[in-house]
Amino acid sequence: MLSINSISKSFDKGKTFALQEVSFNLKEGDVCAIVGESGSGKTTLVRLIAGLERPDHGSIILNNKELSSVKKLVPPEKRKIGLVFQEYALFPHFDLLKNVSYGISKLKNKKERALEMLDLVGLSGLEKRYPHQLSGGQQQRVALARALAPNPSLLILDEPFSNLDAMLRMQLRSQVFEIIKKTGVTAIFVTHDTQDALSVADEILILQHGKVIQKDQASNLYIKPNSVYVASLFGNTIQLSKELQTAFDCPLNPNCNHAIRNENLSINEECEYVTHARVLKKTFMGNATQLLLKLDNGHQISVVTKDTNVADRIKIGFNSTDVLEFAG
Amino acid sequence: MKQAGSSDIFSIKSRLRRLKRDTNRWSIFTLAIVLFIALPVIAIAVKLLEGPGETWWHLVDNLLADYIGNSFFLIFTCSFLVLIMGVGTAWLVARFEFPFRKQLEWLLILPLAIPSYIVAYAYAGVFDYGGSLELILRWLNLEFVRIDIMNKFGLAFVLSISLFPYVYVSSRAFFLNQAGNLLEASTMLGVGEFKSFFRLMLPLARPAIIAGLILVLMEVLNDYGAAQYFGVNTFTTGIFRAWFSLEEPETAVYLSALLIFIVFALILFEKWQRKNIQVTGNKASGRTHRKMGTKPMEWLKFFLVLIPVILGFFIPVGQLIYWAFLTAEKVFDLDFIMLSLQSFGIALITSLVTVLFATLLIYFAKWSSINGIKSISRLGILGYAIPGAVVAIGIMIPTLAFDKWFINTMDTVFGVKTGFLFNGTLVALVYAYSVRFLAVAYNPIESTALKVSNSIPDSSKMLGVGNFKTFLKIEFPLIKTGILSAVILVFIDVLKELPLTLILKPFHINTLAVKAFEYASDEMVMEAAIPSLFIIFTATIPVIFLNKLLIKE
Amino acid sequence: MKKTLVGLLALTLMFSCKNSEEKNKTSENEKQEVNVYTHRHYESDQELFEMFEEQTGITVNVINANADELIQKMSMEGEQSPADVLITVDAGRLERAKSSDLLQAVSSEILEETIPSHLKDADNHWFGLTKRARVIAYAKDRVDESELSTYEDLASDKWNDKLLIRSSGNIYNQSLMASIMVHNGEEEAKEWAEAVVENMARAPKGNDRDQVKAVVAGEGDLAIVNTYYIGKMLNSEDPEEVKAGEEVKLFFPNQEGRGTHINVSGAGVAKYAPNKENAIKFIEFLISEEAQKIFAHSNYEYPVNEAVTPAALLQEWGEFKEDTLNLSTLGENNKKAVMLFDEAGWK
Repeated sequence: MLSINSISKSFDKGKTFALQEVSFNLKEGDVCAIVGESGSGKTTLVRLIAGLERPDHGSIILNNKELSSVKKLVPPEKRKIGLVFQEYALFPHFDLLKNVSYGISKLKNKKERALEMLDLVGLSGLEKRYPHQLSGGQQQRVALARALAPNPSLLILDEPFSNLDAMLRMQLRSQVFEIIKKTGVTAIFVTHDTQDALSVADEILILQHGKVIQKDQASNLYIKPNSVYVASLFGNTIQLSKELQTAFDCPLNPNCNHAIRNENLSINEECEYVTHARVLKKTFMGNATQLLLKLDNGHQISVVTKDTNVADRIKIGFNSTDVLEFAG
Repeated sequence: MKQAGSSDIFSIKSRLRRLKRDTNRWSIFTLAIVLFIALPVIAIAVKLLEGPGETWWHLVDNLLADYIGNSFFLIFTCSFLVLIMGVGTAWLVARFEFPFRKQLEWLLILPLAIPSYIVAYAYAGVFDYGGSLELILRWLNLEFVRIDIMNKFGLAFVLSISLFPYVYVSSRAFFLNQAGNLLEASTMLGVGEFKSFFRLMLPLARPAIIAGLILVLMEVLNDYGAAQYFGVNTFTTGIFRAWFSLEEPETAVYLSALLIFIVFALILFEKWQRKNIQVTGNKASGRTHRKMGTKPMEWLKFFLVLIPVILGFFIPVGQLIYWAFLTAEKVFDLDFIMLSLQSFGIALITSLVTVLFATLLIYFAKWSSINGIKSISRLGILGYAIPGAVVAIGIMIPTLAFDKWFINTMDTVFGVKTGFLFNGTLVALVYAYSVRFLAVAYNPIESTALKVSNSIPDSSKMLGVGNFKTFLKIEFPLIKTGILSAVILVFIDVLKELPLTLILKPFHINTLAVKAFEYASDEMVMEAAIPSLFIIFTATIPVIFLNKLLIKE
Repeated sequence: MKKTLVGLLALTLMFSCKNSEEKNKTSENEKQEVNVYTHRHYESDQELFEMFEEQTGITVNVINANADELIQKMSMEGEQSPADVLITVDAGRLERAKSSDLLQAVSSEILEETIPSHLKDADNHWFGLTKRARVIAYAKDRVDESELSTYEDLASDKWNDKLLIRSSGNIYNQSLMASIMVHNGEEEAKEWAEAVVENMARAPKGNDRDQVKAVVAGEGDLAIVNTYYIGKMLNSEDPEEVKAGEEVKLFFPNQEGRGTHINVSGAGVAKYAPNKENAIKFIEFLISEEAQKIFAHSNYEYPVNEAVTPAALLQEWGEFKEDTLNLSTLGENNKKAVMLFDEAGWK
């Protein structure tokens, strides 16, 4: 239903690109996470979809209607897209009821609908409150209710949880996506946190330097990342450089890049490729310990282990099936 | 292949195609307003093309160095004095508790209510032979030491003392509302008060301070009355001299162009410094909590803050009141009340119209999708840099052309005899004021508008509400303090305005400023005291109100 | 949005229509009026305008502004100008208005017979209303009258650091300079100005009264002032000003030669005056004996109507010989005078 066709956007007349030739499609009812570091262009991408930015090239089509292209722009207010901003952007001078009913002023039963939405996000009874009287999490849910009230064909959430602390974040994440699933709306959310993405998204799009690196289902991304970068996004990864390959005595295809996930390294166990190392430093991390190792060939690597009681000299290794291989 | 694609995106052809796509009605409306406001400037620019008059080189040889020297002397000296008084007092009232702080806070704004040429007259009266100072000293049996104030140092002093509140207001707002957290952090780090002021607050408050300073400098460069009276040659007195004494508007236009150039440089400097610090500025927040000190220190602060209030308000007003007593019978009558009401009415109408223009300009430019339009929209505030008399002439050129055309067409085509549509009517006067004071309205509105995060109106748009309705329902309520400040500031400026009013005012209508000037220019400075005091008192009430508004904000 | 814009437009149109309607109405009712552009803004003038209204039923509409600005305004308004009468406080600018083709010749026996010929335009484009002389006010205690003689003498070394005179931006100084230029030639006039600048006790500043006060304060010994300012100081509300006025005496220069430099405040009928007849009536009224009395007595100016005696104070100063140079020449040379000032470094 949403199709993005080779969108490009530059803020400095082509010197650098915030987005370059980005294309992807989204199915009705899907929840898609856009993951990237800050500066990867993810916010620009959703703002383009929302109509708050204008593309330099390419087109955006929603439900067979062209929203943005080089020739034409549908203004944001005519796109029927809901957007929850990172800082929520509630109207400070309106109470919750007015905030939520703002986008549905033409409906006859706008009050009922607004109350229903507040109920949906678990804030019934607070409709007379003002935004500044609410906690961050509550504000977040009001913003969601407000965006959902007009029944948008697409819902966008820009870094929805970045302003919340860790505890609240987990709790709210599941609540918010429960609500989204309940309404069945197609949703895009932007995050720099892969945990967010993995836990709720049907599909994940990885952006780096304004380009799409990989788009796939969450589980596939973990199992078959197409680059060291993607692999490292989803957990501690050690790149197997030529030197490391010699240290472990495992010659790999010289035309490809390789990496191994930290959890697939085994300490003091038998495996295909092993080497010995001296522990230079141990850092206690609660449920795990970080080790700084000096391999016998002099190479240093950093490894996390559950084993809290390791000797000063250890054996370390991995199996060939766990090696991730990427086309160079 | 991709490289080729991206260079193609920025070929002229595809840029033009996007320009066509991005041109919306807001872009066109913005251009229309800018054109309307800039029309007098354009009219003057067209005159520039006619070349300078024959006296231009005479002027360059004999006077230009003096004009440039004095104008820059005033820019630097006034900046220095205004910064010390404005920032210093703002810091003291925002940061410390001391006796009568609350009263002093609004008293510090009051010098704005007095036109600077009237302050100049009053101070000349104080230091004059047989002036108040001599009388007081004589009464105290003290020797009178004559202080000559009628020179460029005196002028810099008079202008600074009457204009420093612009800097006071803008920097106090920053100290009150945005500096709290950082100050606390700084105190926690054991940094002393003075050090955290100079090392932390001053750099952070810079955009706010300089915004106020630019307003002061524009007023300094525009001043005619005080410089003329004190015998200091500046660009503005030079413009009047070239236009009227040398009888060469073309030469005056060349001088105006130079002056506009200086002001434009100042504006660009302000924009540049604002851009440079934006990231840091936005992060500062939190209210400041006032510190108490020891009793003697508190009284010391009280006296420090009192000095500019006395110099900028009580001394000139005291002198005027003394004169008013001497001349009350002669000047005060029923006509005078009518005159005051007219002044009041004109100022009110003008401030509403000007604020409307400023608001439309800011928001149309914002809604326009073309970045260039936003830069162009700032041209609309250039009128403030142009001396009132030049604006008046600039207004007369195009409106007269239109009026003449209108009268002729009505006569020849319809056989109807009509009068002037613009000239000699309130329309031309209000138009000229709007051109002149758009910047005064523009700045407070823009700065409050900047405080509203873009995501707020963007949310409204995402909820299906268009630009204009979003403005009325969301942005207007959020920026209304800025709008109200703008109305008040323009009101006061119009009340004080002189040269433009002299040229464009209709028959039967008079203003207090004109009346005061008439007296003063006939060497009846004492008689000018009563209309001056009326201006001051009419302006004082909104100034106090403005202060309440700013504190609330 | 559109509605608002349309509304605004409609409002502007209504506003302006209403304005022109008013004007139409006045022409329908044949209401008599005269539109006066004047640089004079004295209380006495207001009194005179009211008298004129009472006597004739003609309404006087006044625009008060600097004469330079009024002339600019008239020249821009052109044929459509509502101005009937232009009044200035010096002949120079009336002459400028004439040469810019803004005034018209008027034939009025009353005006021609009452006003001495050197105080009006030869082609009857403008007429003097009141006279003022530019004289020397000197410190009674420090200067002996015998030391004073002419304007030219002010350039002499003996006045080094003693002279007080206002800036060259002032029209009275410009006219004085023009008269010296006409009498002595450009070269000598420039030398004169340079020497006067040398002799100044301080940089030029303030108005004529300030020069007198500076003399009294001891900053210098001589001040160049217009006569009526002394009259005004002596009758000031401020006791200190009265005292200052009493401390100086007046000297009328060049009595042995061409006479003291005088100037007039005068009036002319605008070229496109819509109410020409009323304008002439108005000027005739201003030189009538009753009007001239008011000029003379409340403003300490010398009347142009010789049938009227000056104020008692002016009589006290005695009669003096006035420079009969036709005042039109001053206007013609005004610009050159300003440039000479600039070259001489007279601020």
